[in-house]
Amino acid sequence: MNKLKLNYTSLSFLPILVCIPLGYQLINNIHFGGFKLFQEFLISAFNPKIDNEIIITVIKRLNETILIGFFSWLVSIIFGAIFGIISSNIFYKIFNIPNFFYRIVRFFLTIIRSIHEVVWGILLMQIYGINFSIGIIAICIPYIAVNSKVFAEQLEIIDYKSFESINQINAPKFSSLLTLIWNPIINTFKNFGLYRLECSIRSTVILGLFGIGGIGTSIFLSFQTLNFRELWTYLWSLAILIIISGLIFKKIKFNTTNKILSIFFISVFFITILFSFSYFLYFIFNNNFENFNSVSSLFKSSSNLGLFDFLKLILETIILSLLSTGIAISLPPLVIGIFNNNTSKIFIKIFAFLLRLIPTPVILLTLLTFNNPSVSLAALTLGLHNAGITSKLLFTNLDSQDKRNYIAMKSLGISKKTSWLLGLFSQQAKSYLAYCAYRSDIIIRETTIVGVIGSVGLGWQLQESLSSFAWQEVILVLIAYSSIAIVGELINGKIKNSLT
Amino acid sequence: MNNTVLELENISYKYKNDLILNKINLKINSGEKIALLGKSGSGKTTLISLLNGTIKPTQGEVKLFNESFEELDRKQKSKITTIWQDLRLIEDLSAEQNVNCGLLAENNFYFAFKNLLNISSFKKAHKYMKLCRLHNSIYDKKIRKLSGGQKQRVAIARSLIQESNILLADEPFNNLDPKLITTIKNLLLENVDKNKTKKSPKTALVALHRLDLLNDFDKVIGIRDGKIFFNIKRNNLKKIHLEKIY
Repeated sequence: MNKLKLNYTSLSFLPILVCIPLGYQLINNIHFGGFKLFQEFLISAFNPKIDNEIIITVIKRLNETILIGFFSWLVSIIFGAIFGIISSNIFYKIFNIPNFFYRIVRFFLTIIRSIHEVVWGILLMQIYGINFSIGIIAICIPYIAVNSKVFAEQLEIIDYKSFESINQINAPKFSSLLTLIWNPIINTFKNFGLYRLECSIRSTVILGLFGIGGIGTSIFLSFQTLNFRELWTYLWSLAILIIISGLIFKKIKFNTTNKILSIFFISVFFITILFSFSYFLYFIFNNNFENFNSVSSLFKSSSNLGLFDFLKLILETIILSLLSTGIAISLPPLVIGIFNNNTSKIFIKIFAFLLRLIPTPVILLTLLTFNNPSVSLAALTLGLHNAGITSKLLFTNLDSQDKRNYIAMKSLGISKKTSWLLGLFSQQAKSYLAYCAYRSDIIIRETTIVGVIGSVGLGWQLQESLSSFAWQEVILVLIAYSSIAIVGELINGKIKNSLT
Repeated sequence: MNNTVLELENISYKYKNDLILNKINLKINSGEKIALLGKSGSGKTTLISLLNGTIKPTQGEVKLFNESFEELDRKQKSKITTIWQDLRLIEDLSAEQNVNCGLLAENNFYFAFKNLLNISSFKKAHKYMKLCRLHNSIYDKKIRKLSGGQKQRVAIARSLIQESNILLADEPFNNLDPKLITTIKNLLLENVDKNKTKKSPKTALVALHRLDLLNDFDKVIGIRDGKIFFNIKRNNLKKIHLEKIY
């Protein structure tokens, strides 16, 4: 009997098996009470509310979203670069600092990164109340750590010989450091910076759903009042914003050889740092810290969370991550492979765009209209949203790929689907899986959002504990979250390394 | 009077379990031009890396101006300049920015910043690039866009702009055509400087493969399997010496 051999192509499809337990639970949980609402939600997409009042609200809310998104991006990209430098080995080599500190800084940033911006947002809102600047701070905290990882990764690949050469010139250490890191930092900013702005805007929308302001808050309020026409007006305006900003980003080219532009960027860099520090001081000295009493009660408060319940929540979160990752990996190649013609491609692209556009809490709330809350439903939501993102990458890579193998296979009489699978997808499978390994890091962090809304896992427990000011429980949940995210990141790092 | 500028005292160097250099003793006096000969893998590059302090010996001591290398400050160490066999230029910077990197030691952080922003003065860099026969059309080109010979001359210009007293060079004439070899050799060994337009290093240790270039050197050192086989005046070099190391 032939042995089953797994290759990158089959590994891309295998995770779809998660749909068996997921589908079973979803079918069992179905209820027909909200089908009408769901139908109304879908129909409203083609009939959004358009009048003067809502247009003014949209403009106002989009302005808030752009402001929060832009400022959190600017601060997080600049401080991300700074932390990226101090968490890269080149910094420690130049200044002869023991490796011990390198590990400490990295570990600290990993912990910060492992907690989702929504968690930071909820946590800060609980302490400081709803505030425009809380949104910026909540996004900045994990984003600085995420950006620092990307910058550090680029700095780690600086040719060691260049370092030796600059070191041998015996220049002042800061001059050597600047000369070595300048181009990797600029290139990372060029390749990665604008993508992070889009991420910032998306995070602002998500935080808005939790009351921070901007278009997210309007989306949530419309959903709560079941005003789906209004909801779709906000969603479409958000879509327009994302499309237009995407088009603008494509046009922007950073020219670092232009002296005036370079000086402008440097000025922005220093002004942002100055502004951030002054704002930080203002925040510290002008805030009402009465709520801090609740934090000080951390040591007084007791936890009612039983060990068994806690372990169950951890297990639920892990299962949620695995199921969502399975869908995000396998669904895009499966759907693109099965519906492999030009018309279907357009529909899949639109559907994937909508999955990316609609914030996960809204997808989940919509699905909750006809399904009871469960791990499967939360996993389906998170999986679908991330499948929208992985499919975008897959489409981009497939579209730019050399199609000669595919054409040659078809000319041999091989079916279109098989030719696509072996002639096109098989060549992309390895890099696709490597990206999915990176994506699964994000999925683990995002389990919080669906957890809070969908009453599953640690996310839900976090919301409960925060609402009752049970700070010991909050700390326990955060430690558990961090641990899952860090272990996940380590495993995914190993997978990524073996694939690249 | 003791005019030793560089000294290796009983130096050994191990990489993993391999003994690359074995109990080397060497004195380089001020003003000496020394050719370092030896097969590939004989330890020439390691010897140069030890002399400029890039690597530390497993055993023994390196001295610069009679002081232990470890105890010297940055300014004193910058009296040595190196041309590496693999050039070690920064690929994403332009040729003139790379040459200006040679001036980092004598300038402050602001200079490094201006150099990266392309707003520093490149006057001195251009002078040395011109001396190395680099055409002004390549001054602002990124290193990765240059030919092997052009890169080689940028590395040489970066080294010369440091105006250091001691030059260590690891096969600096690679990738150069015969006419350029003569020009560069004269530049490095201070044979022609009628107009005093540049300061050449007084002392030089140059690793070579080409024996026809030995004429301009005072001394020749032969190295094989991590050991110095001979350290003699160039005029005393015989065929038998070369047979020992090749």
